[in-house]
Amino acid sequence: MPIVAENISYVYNKGQPDETYALRHVSFSAEDGEFIGIIGHTGSGKSTLIQHLNGLLKPDSGKILIDGEDITSGNVSLRRIRQKVGLVFQYPEYQLFEETVEKDVAFGPKNLGISPEEAVMRVKDALRLTGLDYDEIAERSPFELSGGQKRRVAIAGVLAMQPKILILDEPAAGLDPGSHDRILAMIQEIRRERKSTVILVSHNMDDAAEMCDRIFAMKDGEILLSGTPEEIFSAADILRDAGLGLPAAADLIRRMRDMGADIDADGILLPEQAADAVAGWLKGKERRGKKC
Amino acid sequence: MLRDITLGQYYPKDSVIHRLDPRVKITAVLVYIVMLFLVRDFTGYGVSLLAVIAVTAASGVPFRFILRGMRPIAVIILLTFILNLFLYPGTILLSLGPLHITEQGLHQALFMVCRLVLLIFGTALLTYTTKPMKLTDGMESLMSPLSRFGFPSHEIAIIMSIALRFIPMLVQEADKIMKAQQARGADFESGNIVRRVKSLMPLFIPLFVGAFRIAQDLAMAMEARCYRGGSGRTRLHTMKLEKRDGAAILLLSAYAAVILAERVLSGMFF
Amino acid sequence: MKSRAAEDIIRIENLTFSYPAPEEGTESQTAVDDISLYIEEGSFVAVLGQNGSGKSTLIKTINALLSPSRGDVFVCGMNTKDEELVWEIRRSAGMVFQNPDNQLVSAIVEDDVAFGPENLGIPAPEIRERIDDAMKRTGIFGLRKKSPHMLSGGQKQRVAIAGVIAMRPKCILFDEATAMLDPRGRCEVMQIIRSLKKEGITVLLITHFMEEAAEADRIIVMEKGKIALSGTPEEIFGDPDSVKRLGLKLPPAVEMRELLRARGIDIPDSVLNMDGLARYLCGRAEPERDSSGV
Repeated sequence: MPIVAENISYVYNKGQPDETYALRHVSFSAEDGEFIGIIGHTGSGKSTLIQHLNGLLKPDSGKILIDGEDITSGNVSLRRIRQKVGLVFQYPEYQLFEETVEKDVAFGPKNLGISPEEAVMRVKDALRLTGLDYDEIAERSPFELSGGQKRRVAIAGVLAMQPKILILDEPAAGLDPGSHDRILAMIQEIRRERKSTVILVSHNMDDAAEMCDRIFAMKDGEILLSGTPEEIFSAADILRDAGLGLPAAADLIRRMRDMGADIDADGILLPEQAADAVAGWLKGKERRGKKC
Repeated sequence: MLRDITLGQYYPKDSVIHRLDPRVKITAVLVYIVMLFLVRDFTGYGVSLLAVIAVTAASGVPFRFILRGMRPIAVIILLTFILNLFLYPGTILLSLGPLHITEQGLHQALFMVCRLVLLIFGTALLTYTTKPMKLTDGMESLMSPLSRFGFPSHEIAIIMSIALRFIPMLVQEADKIMKAQQARGADFESGNIVRRVKSLMPLFIPLFVGAFRIAQDLAMAMEARCYRGGSGRTRLHTMKLEKRDGAAILLLSAYAAVILAERVLSGMFF
Repeated sequence: MKSRAAEDIIRIENLTFSYPAPEEGTESQTAVDDISLYIEEGSFVAVLGQNGSGKSTLIKTINALLSPSRGDVFVCGMNTKDEELVWEIRRSAGMVFQNPDNQLVSAIVEDDVAFGPENLGIPAPEIRERIDDAMKRTGIFGLRKKSPHMLSGGQKQRVAIAGVIAMRPKCILFDEATAMLDPRGRCEVMQIIRSLKKEGITVLLITHFMEEAAEADRIIVMEKGKIALSGTPEEIFGDPDSVKRLGLKLPPAVEMRELLRARGIDIPDSVLNMDGLARYLCGRAEPERDSSGV
């Protein structure tokens, strides 16, 4: 289910003296099954952009095609778009409202007009994917769960709509390190099983480097850089201007190079790669040292 | 969408009216309102209109800004006019089927519209020239003598200032929850009234839960910062009457005197 | 139990705290279980632990927001159970909370910073002096007339910190104050924490970010209401297995250090941040204990 955004712009307070571009001529595309990362500091337009992809916001100019269908045209069925494109907001647990977990997760399927029997199946499947036990949790109130469980239930609420494209805005924000890793592992599992396209908005460069096929770096409402993690994180200076850092491994290599070490920085993203490169470099230095 | 909603509409400017002590301005508006209800004929309204026009000119708030502020209540003004026009008994001027316009009705309708417009004009001027925080400070100070009789003047003021802080935040929160539920296929816009009210539950419940969470967090944060009610508390902004406030009080007295004198004098001829 | 000298600004002795049973028939929940802890004046202590390990409860007993079920907590020698001293304790040990939105009271920045001093009954001219100083120290002086809802998360947390500084505390407790911030906001808060420490203010920081904890003088790791580990960052992160067993991670630089060690490269435990690691590997300088390079 490819996504194509053509030249979209979104303006706040249009026509007033304080009009500001939240998005400025943004174009991109994503292929079926791709894992896209969006990075950029707060206010760079990430949230505005993803809200365009399921029709919550309409661009002031430009087009968005989901699966070839223009979702910015007037006569599109928003319900169908929202079934195709699932959007998990930041801190999604704050949107829970039903008496039981089961009812809350079923809210989306119900809105899509899915039969009760089918909805139960979907709820079970969605809870399983988020690592929750249906029998144990279905009849409980979502408000009495722990923080991590609430977030899983909220994500299950979107998964139950069985979207082909899953967009998550900072899904691990505010969690402890263990829960952080489990949420990210869960996203990868969902992607493997459902073969869905995933768009992940993240402040964590290590997560983006590890998980994404392609990354868009945003600044002031524009896509500043787009490319593979290797391409993005080799442009450290541009990222720094956008207020963004590097993954830990790339950061180490860069610091060492700045101190004059002649390590090849190309394509180093993951800690293991950096460790190999540094170990190799030190060995080479030792050898050279002996020759002298 | 629901962004950028602010309480009261402050028009930033550094005029003498903006700088007046909020207590003086609140008192002035109260006196003005009382005067409007004491006025018996159009002369009194004429004087009042001249007074607010003079104050507006001194404040530097553009007139079109004030007119624009009246637009939302235009319906109420129109309704007042029509009701008074048709429902007042007296000498018939014009008949439209079962409806009669009377001479007294026309007089009454114009009279009520003048009162309403002047009322809104004056109070709007207060909010245009006084920051909401200053207004609450002023009200707290004016009400404080009442606290001796058990009137919760400090509590009312702190509730008002917390509302000023959190209403924009709750509006943003509501916007976010609404979008999150729409992303799950919720439909807030179609269906009959019962359906629509029902469809708002996914918005209201998280919003209330969120408001309670905020209240809990805020209460704890206030306690941690040694808040223990109004007694023994000092204020950063102490209010002190300046010369210009004295002048304003004199002008206010002059205005009130004119209105009262006019009322007495006009009474003599009836 | 060992007795400690008066230089400990916070003394926690055999503290137990249980939340009352939510319903009849259910059991009360012990969040903090018989903890003793002494914190030296002027030190920077990080508290780590998974959600629900009791960190937040512990820190709230210090500020007298919660009263011990058993045991005692002393702040500057004052027992938090003494109701007469509650306000002095809260002034001495200020608190910054997790959610930047939910702890600011006023719709104007400088009025919010003044809220604490106003509650303490300080005369207006001195409040002005204190808040101007506090806002300058936290770098928000230029924002003093703004409304909090126009600020970024990091800026809002700096307003909250300024509000605490204006009360002239000896100790500031940060209850996951960086958890909801973006990297830039976290960096802003950490910078203030560093300067607070330089000024001799005791800092207690609950955090999920290991690189923040690596800057502390001492780390305490909690698990199920008890102190599972306590020591310097070198000691704690020198034992990666224990750290991971407690559901935590290593700081990124230490993670890298461990991978390099596994490749036969000898790196001392004192290397805790990226700058130190890069320096060590390049043979430029011995890593500094001071973590100013982060």
